[in-house]
Amino acid sequence: MHVIVATDGSRQSLAAAKHLKSFADPTKVTEISVVAVIRPLASVAFADDLSEGRIDGSFRDAAQGAVDTIAGVFEGWGPKVNKRIRSGSAANEIIKAAKQYDAGLIVVAAGGGGLSDAVLVGSTAQRVQHYAPCPVLVVRPAPRKKK
Amino acid sequence: MFDNRLARRWGQGMSDTRAIDTDLDDDGGLKRSITGKQLFFYTLGDVLGSGIYVLVGLVAAAVGGAFWIAFALGVTVAAITGSAYAELVTKYPQAAGASLYVNKAFGNKALTFLTTVSFLAASMAATGSLATGFSSYFAELWDAPPPLLVSLVFLAVLVVINFIGITESVVINMLMTFVEVSGLIIVMITGIWFIAQGDADFGVLVDIDTTGSYGNPALAVLAGIAFSFFAMTGFENTANVAEETIEPHKNFPRSLVTGMIVAGIVYVLVSMAAALTVPTDTLADSPAALLEVVKTGILPISEGFMTTLFTIIALIAITNTTLVTVVTQPRILYGMAKEDVVPGVFAKIHPTRRSPWIALFFSGAVVAALLVIGNLVPEVEGTPLVERLALVTVVLLLAIYALVIVCCLKLRGRDEDERTYRANTPLLYLGIVGNLAILGFSIYDDPTSLLWCAALLGVGGVLFLAEYFFGNKGTGSRAPDLDDVKGV
Repeated sequence: MHVIVATDGSRQSLAAAKHLKSFADPTKVTEISVVAVIRPLASVAFADDLSEGRIDGSFRDAAQGAVDTIAGVFEGWGPKVNKRIRSGSAANEIIKAAKQYDAGLIVVAAGGGGLSDAVLVGSTAQRVQHYAPCPVLVVRPAPRKKK
Repeated sequence: MFDNRLARRWGQGMSDTRAIDTDLDDDGGLKRSITGKQLFFYTLGDVLGSGIYVLVGLVAAAVGGAFWIAFALGVTVAAITGSAYAELVTKYPQAAGASLYVNKAFGNKALTFLTTVSFLAASMAATGSLATGFSSYFAELWDAPPPLLVSLVFLAVLVVINFIGITESVVINMLMTFVEVSGLIIVMITGIWFIAQGDADFGVLVDIDTTGSYGNPALAVLAGIAFSFFAMTGFENTANVAEETIEPHKNFPRSLVTGMIVAGIVYVLVSMAAALTVPTDTLADSPAALLEVVKTGILPISEGFMTTLFTIIALIAITNTTLVTVVTQPRILYGMAKEDVVPGVFAKIHPTRRSPWIALFFSGAVVAALLVIGNLVPEVEGTPLVERLALVTVVLLLAIYALVIVCCLKLRGRDEDERTYRANTPLLYLGIVGNLAILGFSIYDDPTSLLWCAALLGVGGVLFLAEYFFGNKGTGSRAPDLDDVKGV
């Protein structure tokens, strides 16, 4: 099975990657494609919270940094790991990638919780869920424990 | 680190043989998304929206019936500057734009900082001017709410839209550009219709007003260029998408310069149509001058319908351009925070929306302050806010444009390969002279604009000092502590 692990450079996307690794059977997964999508018209086309290093105005370097970090999670796990950087609208590109690679699963992170998540619709994870050609694993942050 | 990057760039894989296909995968190389055609429309939309709808009246007042000359000359200077941008973008295809070029050419931190802050200030003033322009057109639809409130709500909506991230759509950008162009085509058709009726007095097209405040024709035209120049700006924002343009060496020069030339032709035709159909005095007195052309009722369509349609088109045009400026400001602040020259909070990315929300809301707040202050002081100064802020934008941008051309010349022979686009050198020198001449006149004509420039640059200065005294070194490039990211 070809699995797509999407990253938007957020820590939650790293958690999603680790979550996949925590339960999936590496002998069943043939290939992993780590996909980052650069959004050319957004204020910050790609923000990388995952790797060290400054951006010198290059959002491609930022996307590469995030993809490298996520790919690092699966290093030595078994499946072949591809790193892909795409450009355009995040949800569209993830879905397109899934079709192109004939993916069996898409792993995305969703939400930091809080007000903005409850009020605003149209997030990438939601759109991926709606239109994906295969099952989608949406990894949400664990709720904070009440004391 | 550097070696890794180099390896990545050349697609030669890395130490881990498993992680192959870094660059050259089965997608056929790096997947970029902006085509030459989209870049053309991005340029055109960005340039056309800023000003022609707002500033025609001012320019007509300064020059007289021949104000198309001002648009023609202004767009020429801008297109030459655009060719310098095109050359630099093909060498350094990154989003940072002018700051990056200045840094490469001079390597002087203070100058780079000043350029960046000037660009930020210009962008903020432009947003202010556009928001004010929006409110004057909006009043045609519904004049009950006070203009200041309309501007502020407009600004707030755009900030929220940017926060949510709807600005990502290239398709929407193209659609809005089509609408923009259609509005100007209505003006042109009106002009042609008028000529066909045989009522046109072509003498007005060579009429330069020498009785006004400028006295001689050369100064009157120069004043017109200075006022119209706001309508030429916006093309510098195309650097935003430089990195994501397919085959930038080929597409960037072509799309950028063609976009400017098409914008120039549209401007000249629209100015001629406006001059022919509406008395210059009426244009000069109108806050939404192009609307006067439609109101003449020359076209055999209900005037009320045309006015409403045209107003909506103008509002969309202004919105399109303002969106780009609203997107650009937080990007600049984000870049500066990463460089540790302004406080690190501006590099804060919203966890779900992935937008630099503090930088975004801060920029919005500064523009809102500009609008409020500008509405309080015009009684004292006697200059309308839209004109004031447009001039501030122009003054700052002209200085940057001249500097960018200098950078372009200074960086000749560096980082070039056979694919690098080369702008015409004599034209570049002409461009420096042109930009400085307009800059000189703008300052001479309205020295108060320098105060506004200084105030806006001061915002950058304050942020720098805040970072210098209270900031943590390295907020921008802090090594993330990833151990706390739980897998489950």
